[in-house]
Amino acid sequence: MAGQIKEMIDSIVARRAGDNEIIRKTTRTKLILKGIEIGRWSETSPDDPAVLSRLKEIAIELGVPS
Amino acid sequence: MSVQTMTATGNDVSRVVAELKSQLGTHEPTAVLFFASAKYDQPALAAAMEAAFEGAKVFGCTSSGEIGGDQMLKGAVVAMAIDATTAPNVAVEVIEDVSGANDVAAAVERLGQGIGGPLGGLDVSRHVGVILIDGMSAAEERVMDLVGNLVDIPVVGASAGDDLAFETTHVFVGGKAHANAAVLAILEVPAGYDILKTQSFRVLDKKLRATQVDEVTRTVIEFDGKPAMVAYAEALGVDTGQAAKLFMNHPLGLMDGDEPYVRSPQRADGDKLVFFCNIKQGTTLSVLESANIVEDTGAALAEQLGPEPSIAGLINFHCILRTLELEKRGQCGAYGALFSGLPSIGFSTYGEQYVGHVNQTSTMLVLHNP
Repeated sequence: MAGQIKEMIDSIVARRAGDNEIIRKTTRTKLILKGIEIGRWSETSPDDPAVLSRLKEIAIELGVPS
Repeated sequence: MSVQTMTATGNDVSRVVAELKSQLGTHEPTAVLFFASAKYDQPALAAAMEAAFEGAKVFGCTSSGEIGGDQMLKGAVVAMAIDATTAPNVAVEVIEDVSGANDVAAAVERLGQGIGGPLGGLDVSRHVGVILIDGMSAAEERVMDLVGNLVDIPVVGASAGDDLAFETTHVFVGGKAHANAAVLAILEVPAGYDILKTQSFRVLDKKLRATQVDEVTRTVIEFDGKPAMVAYAEALGVDTGQAAKLFMNHPLGLMDGDEPYVRSPQRADGDKLVFFCNIKQGTTLSVLESANIVEDTGAALAEQLGPEPSIAGLINFHCILRTLELEKRGQCGAYGALFSGLPSIGFSTYGEQYVGHVNQTSTMLVLHNP
């Protein structure tokens, strides 16, 4: 199902930051520094199992497991 | 003035610290942050600073050049005293053994106890973190990653230097000098703050994907399936011998939109490329080209502070590679002049921190007027 990566990125950011714009921005930067090219993935991007797996790890690291 | 800056030169620790204290006057700080040349007896300096500014949280690190107001200095100590009107509440903790087991989680918990509540519950617009890390530890990425996992408060700072000896750097807290350690401070700043990250590069339309890396040694083995130095040289349109001379002019950028997080090549290791910063496997990086540090920093400051700045204080974590470039171009005076009239200190660092570890950047903490 395409778009899962973007959905997971958005979900991690939302669960960590809520409505706080400062935390939203720094969380997105943390994802980039953890190796996720957040600008690369859209709602129609094919899913990459390796990236999805890494995002699940990152969610745990950030205390927001799915 | 809620923030007082001090500068002292000389070789005798006691006299230098006495000079700093004399400049403080009647100011009663809650925190004193200092950056010191590596030439001093570090344990003696740490102890003397702690004793001189009793009642304040005293912390700092060694440097590869100091910035005091509009002066770029060498062999000095610069300090910033912050009082309760700007930072009524300050907690500082040491993270030991950063290159080994480290105890980031325990330090974060102690900081919460010190600042009056778990860090996760604090207002991020009124609290900011300052981190100073041993610049020879190669642990900055891991420490920042662990801190970032636990803390939403923005953290800015730098890697300590040692006057370009690249042997041993120190961070200071609690009257002691620590190696293989980091100091993490949380400041409550009710009037607010800004963090400025500025780097002086154009982003070229050339990309390199790190297809094989050794993260531990900060080494890229292959870009795009080719030996790293070969691919880097091809991207620059030169041979590998010439490419090795262009590292400072052409670092790479991990892009966040239009903003690069700079990764600077350090040296060639055969066909491998060793960086001053960790690069993760699979990462796509943009090739950068150096621009004008003075112009770009001036523009960044003007955009952030406005035409008539009115701030409590500014702390400038300024990459040593930028300092070396300024020296080469005879622009140290012009760079220092950008901070004229601002209550500011800084130092030349072995790396800069903002969310993560970066190179060839200035990260700055701007404290608002109370």
